[in-house]
Amino acid sequence: MNLFVIGLSHRSAPVELRERLAFPRASLGEVTVRLLESARLHEATILSTCNRVEIYGLAANATEATRAVRRFLHEHHKLMDSVDAHLYEHRDNDCIRHLLKVACGLDSMVLGETEILGQVKDAYHSAQQAGTTGVVLNRLFQKVFSASKHIRSTTAITRGSTSVGTVAVDLAEKIFGKLPRCTVMVIGTGEMSEATARALRSRGAGAILVCSRAQERAEALASQLQGRAISFEQWPVEFPSVDIVISSTAAPHPIVTKEKLMPLMKARRQRPLFLIDIAVPRDIERACGELESVYLYDIDDLQQIARENIAAREREISACEALLVQHLQRFADWLEKNRSALEERYSGAGRASTAATPNIHAPSNVAFNK
Amino acid sequence: MTDRTFLWLAQVFYAASCVITLRRLRLGGGGPELQRLNYVVMGLGFALHTVFLYLRGRIDGRCPLTNLFETQAFVAWAAVLFFLLIGPSYRISFLGAFTAPLVLAICLTALLSPIDVVHAGSINRSPWIEFHAAIAILAFGAFALAFVTSAMYLFQERQLKTRKLSSSFLLLPSIEQLDVIHFRLLIMGFAMLTVAMIGGAVSYHIVGHWTEPKIVWAIVVWVVYGALVLARGLRTVRGRKIALGSMASFIFMLVGFWGVNLLQP
Repeated sequence: MNLFVIGLSHRSAPVELRERLAFPRASLGEVTVRLLESARLHEATILSTCNRVEIYGLAANATEATRAVRRFLHEHHKLMDSVDAHLYEHRDNDCIRHLLKVACGLDSMVLGETEILGQVKDAYHSAQQAGTTGVVLNRLFQKVFSASKHIRSTTAITRGSTSVGTVAVDLAEKIFGKLPRCTVMVIGTGEMSEATARALRSRGAGAILVCSRAQERAEALASQLQGRAISFEQWPVEFPSVDIVISSTAAPHPIVTKEKLMPLMKARRQRPLFLIDIAVPRDIERACGELESVYLYDIDDLQQIARENIAAREREISACEALLVQHLQRFADWLEKNRSALEERYSGAGRASTAATPNIHAPSNVAFNK
Repeated sequence: MTDRTFLWLAQVFYAASCVITLRRLRLGGGGPELQRLNYVVMGLGFALHTVFLYLRGRIDGRCPLTNLFETQAFVAWAAVLFFLLIGPSYRISFLGAFTAPLVLAICLTALLSPIDVVHAGSINRSPWIEFHAAIAILAFGAFALAFVTSAMYLFQERQLKTRKLSSSFLLLPSIEQLDVIHFRLLIMGFAMLTVAMIGGAVSYHIVGHWTEPKIVWAIVVWVVYGALVLARGLRTVRGRKIALGSMASFIFMLVGFWGVNLLQP
């Protein structure tokens, strides 16, 4: 009896291939039931996200089972050419290790990201509801969830933001605390300034003002961000009431200078001002950052912080793996202790849903060691 | 076991709190469990600290403020009291990280200095004087916490200004929150100091004693903190300058307190 995973991810396959192999969420349960029957698996769970498609299973013989799963993937997705070169396989302890790494975000495109844990939970719940998980996968996923929580909370693997927009939000929160009382002004529209404004809005930033030389673009972005468009000439008028400025105009020279800013800061009574300059060439004179209560960050500063945060996460990998081994060992020991009982049980019944009622945590007829 | 033993034991807990802080820095926060543990450890230190003050107070049946040693221990106790009141209610993370070392420093210098001497003169048992002294010490505790929040403010502000973020950046509170809480502590401290000054004026009948070093020092401290509260209240100065002013005032107050007590025991 083997645990196995077979799948592809952003590491092994391009997005064109990943999207062809993806399973829509709505049909996940039904597909898993069909997979279980066609590949003659004891238990199975399908994890399908934009970065990975993986099938976790328990079978009497992993070699036969993975061959059958590959066949199922080809038939189900009506693939004309072979995808074998992009598929990877892990068995038993390697399979457990892989699932732990995935759930902790160690195998993610953005190291340590937390969204994947929710996706693994969703995948497990779909399978559980469809009755395709049994004693082994139920226990495995539960243990992986608690291990992931433990590893994430006792290491710095999730710490620090890794994109320009979220780094800007972190900085804003460390200046102002709560953002709802903050007014944001976006000067000039662009992809990066929009992403930054959106990130601020998603963390609860208050009013958003958008101004651009192209009034239509300003209005379009303002409506997307539920903000207010103002004319380009109006921005100095609104400036004293603004806390965060995101600037990304195509102007060849700085539009905010220290000289212009000094009287405005007086009018603000030295309330902090966070200036985010995304434009190249820069919109805000570097000397503005010398003024008291003014915090100026340009695109290079933000990218540098994002890079440092990623590097800091990378330094945590070894600490995560040390913890991961402990969790892996505990589950592997349990599986080994109960192997003969499980084999006996599945040799009679075949698959999870017929072996016993679905969602069981302990069988009725066999005593399992904890 | 003497009463001093309890103060030493309290230091063990304050030192443990410093260790917890280092651990939290290593773990990047370490989750709410470690923060709760830190409050428990500081709370236990505070309890032992309170036992010390109680035992001291029982010796001659009055507020344990008869010498510089007791006063220092009392100021540190008031600082922990404000930490335990303010830290959890305002959810200021890492306030303990800065409070515990300060408290430890104040208590250890008191424990290790030869200042625990029996008061030579007759002890005035007027309840007015005790009230005045105790309120003044509580005000010092608030100013000690104002010192702590100012240090946190300056540390965090410097990171934001220089764009060099340390691993503690995300763990520390925002500068706005620190600025607001610092102001509240200044107001609390100043209000208590004012009450203490009035109490002192009533109890000592200070008219005619204006030149006594302790009274001059007290009036200067009151004026300095009054100016800070006024400047921040009117928003003429805020942020960094107020934080620097608060730290300087606290150091001035401590040094002056040592000075006048050694000059005029």
